[in-house]
Amino acid sequence: MPGEPAKRLKREEYKNALHSEENKAELPKKRFYRQRAHANPFSDHSLQYPRSPADMDWASYYPAYAVNKEIEMTEGESHDHDQQQPAPTPHGPISKQVEIADIGCGYGGLLFALAPKFPETLILGMEIRTAVTEYVQEKVRALRTQHLSTNSYQNASCIRANTMKFLPNFFKKGQLSKIFLCFPDPHFKQRKHKARIVSYTLNSEYAYVLKPGGVVYTITDVEDLHKWMVGHLERHPSFERLNEEEEKSDECVEIMRMETEEGKKVTRNGGNKYVACFRRIEDPPWP
Amino acid sequence: MPIPFTCIEACDLSEDGKSELRLYGASGTRLFVQSSSGASAVWPEEADVRNDEENGEGPPGKRVKLSDPVENTSNFSCLTITNDKKHLVAVTAEDKCIRVFSIDSECRIKQLSERCMARRPCAICVTADDSLILCADKFGDVYSLPLIPSPEDEQQPAAPEQADVPEESSFVPSASVLTVHSGRNRKVLEAQLKQAKKGPKKPKEAPTFKHDLLLGHVSMLTDIAYAVVDKRSYIITADRDEHVRVSRGPPQAHIIEDFCHGHEAFISRLCVVGQDLLVSGGGDPDLFVWDWLHYKLLQKLPIRNAVFEFMRAQTDLASTLPEDVSSFKVAVSGIWSVPHAQSDVKEILVACEGVPALFSFNVGSSSTTGQAIALSGNALDVTFVQAGTESTCTAIVSVDNAHMPGSTTEIRKDESAVRLHFFSPQSDGQWTQAAGAVQQAFEGLGGSADKPTTNAKALHNILYGVENLRKRPGSDD
Ligand SMILES: C[S@@+](CC[C@H](N)C(=O)[O-])C[C@H]1O[C@@H](n2cnc3c(N)ncnc32)[C@H](O)[C@@H]1O
Repeated sequence: MPGEPAKRLKREEYKNALHSEENKAELPKKRFYRQRAHANPFSDHSLQYPRSPADMDWASYYPAYAVNKEIEMTEGESHDHDQQQPAPTPHGPISKQVEIADIGCGYGGLLFALAPKFPETLILGMEIRTAVTEYVQEKVRALRTQHLSTNSYQNASCIRANTMKFLPNFFKKGQLSKIFLCFPDPHFKQRKHKARIVSYTLNSEYAYVLKPGGVVYTITDVEDLHKWMVGHLERHPSFERLNEEEEKSDECVEIMRMETEEGKKVTRNGGNKYVACFRRIEDPPWP
Repeated sequence: MPIPFTCIEACDLSEDGKSELRLYGASGTRLFVQSSSGASAVWPEEADVRNDEENGEGPPGKRVKLSDPVENTSNFSCLTITNDKKHLVAVTAEDKCIRVFSIDSECRIKQLSERCMARRPCAICVTADDSLILCADKFGDVYSLPLIPSPEDEQQPAAPEQADVPEESSFVPSASVLTVHSGRNRKVLEAQLKQAKKGPKKPKEAPTFKHDLLLGHVSMLTDIAYAVVDKRSYIITADRDEHVRVSRGPPQAHIIEDFCHGHEAFISRLCVVGQDLLVSGGGDPDLFVWDWLHYKLLQKLPIRNAVFEFMRAQTDLASTLPEDVSSFKVAVSGIWSVPHAQSDVKEILVACEGVPALFSFNVGSSSTTGQAIALSGNALDVTFVQAGTESTCTAIVSVDNAHMPGSTTEIRKDESAVRLHFFSPQSDGQWTQAAGAVQQAFEGLGGSADKPTTNAKALHNILYGVENLRKRPGSDD
C-alpha cells in the first residue's frame, strides 16, 4: 500500500468518487493504482483465497453468470437506501467455469483484449499486487457499465492471488484450456530462481489445472528467461512444445504479443519478444 | 538440562524362534540403541570409551565395541527404519544431512553414508522396496536418493537438468539491456553485469551425490508419506499453506493426482491408516480424516477440544488455559497409527506440542472423541512393538524430561524425570501403563541420553518447532 498519508488519502478520495453513480462508466486512472514492482511470492501476505475451488465465490466476479439470481446481502452491504448504493453483488456458484487464466496479469491489457475474442469463455486475470488488481477490477466494472446493452466484458474478471502458492485452490483438475504467462518478472538474483513463475516443479501444477490439449503460452523480452522457461517446460513430461506452424495459426499468440502492457512497451522500445507455447499431453497409464 | 529423545524407533528382529526387540533413540547429537538381548550401543562412539578400549583397561561391560570414529555436532531431527529392518535413516538438522546406518545382529551402529542436502530436510520416508529415500525439505521440494548409492551414483553428480543449482549459476542476463524493466529490475541487472565482469560468484556448493528432484510446492513442506495401493505408488505431501497433495510415486512423481482440500491452518503431520485412510493435522482445531484415494473428507476429529478438556482437568495446567476453547491453540506434532492385530479397529495416537498427554481416537466407521493418556512430560515421539507372546502391542512414548509438563520453555527443577513410558491397550480399549517384557528390555535406554545441555533456547528449538508454522495475520503485504 502507498506510504505517505497524504497520498493515501488522495487515492481513497479518488476511489470513492469513482464509485458514485455518475462516474460508474469512467475508466480508472492508472496513476492512482501504482505499486512497487515486486511482491515476494514466498511470504504470507494477508491473502484471501478459497479453501478449495468449490468454496470459491465465483458469482461476485462473474455476476452475469450467477446461479442464484436473487441476491442476498453480505455483511457490510447495508439495507438502507438513503445513500446511493451500487447494485449489490450476487454470491455463490456460476453456471460456467473459468477456462482461461492470465497469470500475473498486471494492468490487464491481455485480459481486455481476449474478452471480446472469446465472448463465451470466462477469463480470469490473477495478480498478486493489491493496487494493480484493484485497477483491473475497476476497469472491468467500468467496461461492463459502458457495454450494458451488449453484455460485453461480463466474461472477464480479476482476482488478487499468489498463483505460485494457491493455483489449485482456485481451479479443479483439468479445468483450464489456456494459461498465459506473459512477461513474468525475471528475478535476476540467483537465490530467487525458485521465485520464477516457471519451474520444473511448478509446471506440475500448471499441468494439473490444464485439461489435456490445453496450452501454456509464454512470452518475454529477456532471452535468458525465455531459455529458462523453454528448458523447464520441455523437460516436464506433461508438456510438448507447439511447432512454428501451430504457433502461427493460434490467434492468441498475436494478441499476447501486441496487447499485453509489457508487449506494447517492448514494441515502443524496439525490443525482442520471445514466444513459446506448450500443449498439455494426456497422462500416461500408471507403470 | 537433560536432552530427551526427540525420535524413537522400535523394531522386532525375532527370527527362527529367537526373539529380539530393539529400540533406537535419538537424543541431541547422539543415537542410542538398546536390544532386549541386553546389548546396547551409542553413535558416535564416545571418545573416553574408545580410550578405555585402547588402553585395554577394564572390561567394556555390556557395551558393544564400536569402530566408527565419527564426530557429529548436529542434532537429530528425523529417524526411520527401513521396511526390511536392515537400515536406519536419520536426519541431522543443522548440517542438513541424511545419514544411513546399518543395523547388524550385534547391535552395532555403523554409519554407511552421510549426504548433506542444500536445504534442510523436514521429513523423510523410504519407498516400499527400500530402494529410495524420499526427502521433503524446507524449501518445498521432494528429492529421491538411493538408500545405498551404487558406485556410479557416487561418481555421477546430479544430472545438470535435475539440479537447479548449477543451472542457476549459468544464468547470464545478456539480452536484457535493450528491454524495458522496472527501476529495481534494472538495478539488479546492473549489479549482475558488474558481477559478471568480476567473474562468476562462487556458486553455492551443490551436492555431488545422486539426488533427483521429484516434485515441489512453493511453500514449506512439513511431512511426506509414501503408500502403495493396488500396485500403484503414491507420494503424499503436506505444506504450511494448508495443502495436502497426492502425487504419483516415482517414476511419475511429476503427475499430481489431486489435493485433499479443507485445512485452514498449517498442516504439520500426515498419517496413512490402514491403506485407504489418511489423517492430517496441524494448527486447525480438528484432525481431518480422508478417503485420500478419492480426495474426500470423511470426518473431523476434535483434537483441540480433547486437549482443552484434558488440560482443564489438570490442576497445575488449568490456569494456563484461556477461558474459552475457541481462543485456545493446538499444534499437532505427531500422529501414529496403532498396529492392532484385528484390522477392523483403526486407531491413532496423537501428540500436540507442549502437551503432557497422548490422545487416542478411533477413525473410520467407529470413531471416538479422543481419550487422553496422561504422561509425566510433554509427548515427543511414539513407536510400537509387539512382544513375542503378547498379542497386544506396546506403545513406547518418549517424553520431555527437560521442560515442565505443559510448557515448552520452563525448565524442570528435578533432573531425574523419566524419558520413556510404556503403555498397552486393555480389552476395553483403554491404554494403561504396561510393566511387561518390553519395559524390562528397554528400561536401560530410559537412562541414557546425550550429554546435558545448558543452552535452553537451543533445546527449545530442537524439540518445539511446530507452533512456529502458524501464520501471523497481516505480517506483511
Ligand atoms: C512484468 S508484469 C507483466 C504484466 C502483464 N502480464 C503484461 O504482460 O503486461 C508481471 C506481473 O506478475 C505479477 N506477479 C508476480 N508474481 C506473481 C504471483 N506469484 N502471483 C500472481 N501474480 C504475480 C506481478 O505483480 C506483475 O504485475
